[in-house]
Amino acid sequence: MNMVVAIKQVPDVPNIRIDRERMTVIREGVESIINPLDYVALEAALDLRNRHGGKVVALTMGPLQSEEALREALAAGADEGILLTDPAFAGADTLATSHVLARAISRTTPFPDLILCGMQTIDSDTGHVGPQIAEELDVPQVCGVSEIHVDEECLVVKRVSDGSLDSVRVTMPVVLTVTQHICEVRNLPLGALEAAFSEKSIVQWSMDQLGLEESEVGLSGSATQVWRLRPPPPRREGRVFDASPQELVDHLIRKLEGLSVLDEEEEDQ
Amino acid sequence: MFNALFQETGPLGGRGPKEEMHLEPTMKQAVLRRTARKFCETRLSSAAGMMDRDARFPWDIAREMADLQYFGLEIPALYGGAGLDTASSAIVIEEIARVSAAMGLCVSVHNSVSAYPLYLYGDEGQRREYLIPLARGEKIGTFCLTEPNAGSDASSIETRAFLHGDEYVLNGNKIFVTNGGVSGVNLIFATLEGGQKDRGFSVFIVDSETRGLVKGPPEDLIGMRGNPVCPISLHDCRVPVKNRLGEEGEGLKIALSILDGGRIGIAAQALGIAQASLDLSLRYAKERQQFGKALSEFGAIKHFLADMATRIDAARLLVFRACHLKDKGRHHGRESAMAKVYASEAAVYAARIGIQIHGGYGCTKAYPIERLYRDSKVCEIYEGTSEVQRMIIARSLIHESV
Repeated sequence: MNMVVAIKQVPDVPNIRIDRERMTVIREGVESIINPLDYVALEAALDLRNRHGGKVVALTMGPLQSEEALREALAAGADEGILLTDPAFAGADTLATSHVLARAISRTTPFPDLILCGMQTIDSDTGHVGPQIAEELDVPQVCGVSEIHVDEECLVVKRVSDGSLDSVRVTMPVVLTVTQHICEVRNLPLGALEAAFSEKSIVQWSMDQLGLEESEVGLSGSATQVWRLRPPPPRREGRVFDASPQELVDHLIRKLEGLSVLDEEEEDQ
Repeated sequence: MFNALFQETGPLGGRGPKEEMHLEPTMKQAVLRRTARKFCETRLSSAAGMMDRDARFPWDIAREMADLQYFGLEIPALYGGAGLDTASSAIVIEEIARVSAAMGLCVSVHNSVSAYPLYLYGDEGQRREYLIPLARGEKIGTFCLTEPNAGSDASSIETRAFLHGDEYVLNGNKIFVTNGGVSGVNLIFATLEGGQKDRGFSVFIVDSETRGLVKGPPEDLIGMRGNPVCPISLHDCRVPVKNRLGEEGEGLKIALSILDGGRIGIAAQALGIAQASLDLSLRYAKERQQFGKALSEFGAIKHFLADMATRIDAARLLVFRACHLKDKGRHHGRESAMAKVYASEAAVYAARIGIQIHGGYGCTKAYPIERLYRDSKVCEIYEGTSEVQRMIIARSLIHESV
């Protein structure tokens, strides 16, 4: 089974900094990690490969620093790493990112049977990229997958959906986005890290090599733009009122009226 | 020209257009540090308190670490190791020690002065039989030099090896053997019967199961109590000639060269203790309030934190400078002595100031800072006392100056 796992290098959340001009997160110089759910997706792919054979390719779009994420993926056991990097890719929203990723996936040979990624990232939390890639590549998608089983030419996957656990049979190729329940994350042996840096090689593709135009990628290729990034307002403390029940009710009604959340009503006598 | 303080040749001991100052970790080293830290914080940190309280070695965690190649850091993959360079190994040891100084000590000694000498000086047979199990963590290694009458004065050891046919018969007492209580392979230093002091000084590979090797009860230590340090005595212990490491008489040379590298690991270990002290102190100083503000707003506390951080940073640079020299195959005796003495003294300082910052709470077992204080002291003593390190540094300065 040929698999591609799309991984994203994300900032280690406490050290986040913001580019006010591009309204994106500044990733250079900040300690970065593989998005935890993408790492889980990678482990799931490796598990499938170990049981059913095949190849696992790790794919990422990002600045040159993102090579670090691919090396980690190689250390975990991925067979190949592909880095999509170009100054023009900067400032991409999820649509522009998915466009680049989808183009790269369409250029991997052979075309993968399974495309995996985490359900969402810890920095933007959108959950868009998996579904967007599927749409671009015109393949089916199942999101929020917690189990994957191979059944001859199909996959049977479990996903949580609106309080029920669905079992979905799907043909390949398919895009699956996974949750943390899909498998255990193993610890990396130190020698594997060493080997990932010294023995395995990473392929690098630029915008031109992917046959893309500047208008399709990065800030220019984005359909959305971050208008403002601000920290959430400070949590207002609740206030405690101590009074008789009747006084409390009167007080509450006055407060709710003041907030205009009560309907206009004829007052009964 | 007097150049010991790197005016001519730079801190890396060399010069030329191709010489680069490596003051930042490489991508690989950054990932390595993160990987080791994640493992230690998730799997080892919960055991650190228990290890100290019960003076217990955590076999289950050690086995996990063995599977992840923590016991074969610098040993090539060919022999089951991780194949890391010295700097990478130092990073891993620091991260372990940051969480558990006792485990950091175990891994550092096992790697630097037990497995690595076997790799450097062992013949192929010895490597196959002893190095591979050590690198895989199937057995833990020791370095047995110190005796009741021979500490800093290493060459006056009294353990004797008598050649009898195709065997050596060993008799003597070794004390303060780090990892002793859990070891499977021991490097035992002895002089040949009838040999003069430091002629005939030799080292032997002795399996713990060998008849005549007796382990005593572990020491009741003030710190790093999770490491089973114990005496090992030899009573007509018979060891085949093929277990002698290197040639007869090479023992002192082997010991001294190994200790140069071992010093780096031990410095990294002290660095971990120091860093942990700073991390704890920073957190406490920001949380604890007195006189209406956080401790970290007071000048005295600011000075404490600044001094701790500066010393730790300096120690780290010294460690990595020594690593760099060793990895380039250059002499690193003086530089590793500097790293060891400075890092160990930084650890003691940081732990002491750490308790001061924690105040009364720092003197209770409820806070981990007191354990760091107890763990740190021996760093100034083992693997060459601070006094010995200064002697090494001074000798090298005097020798090199005109």
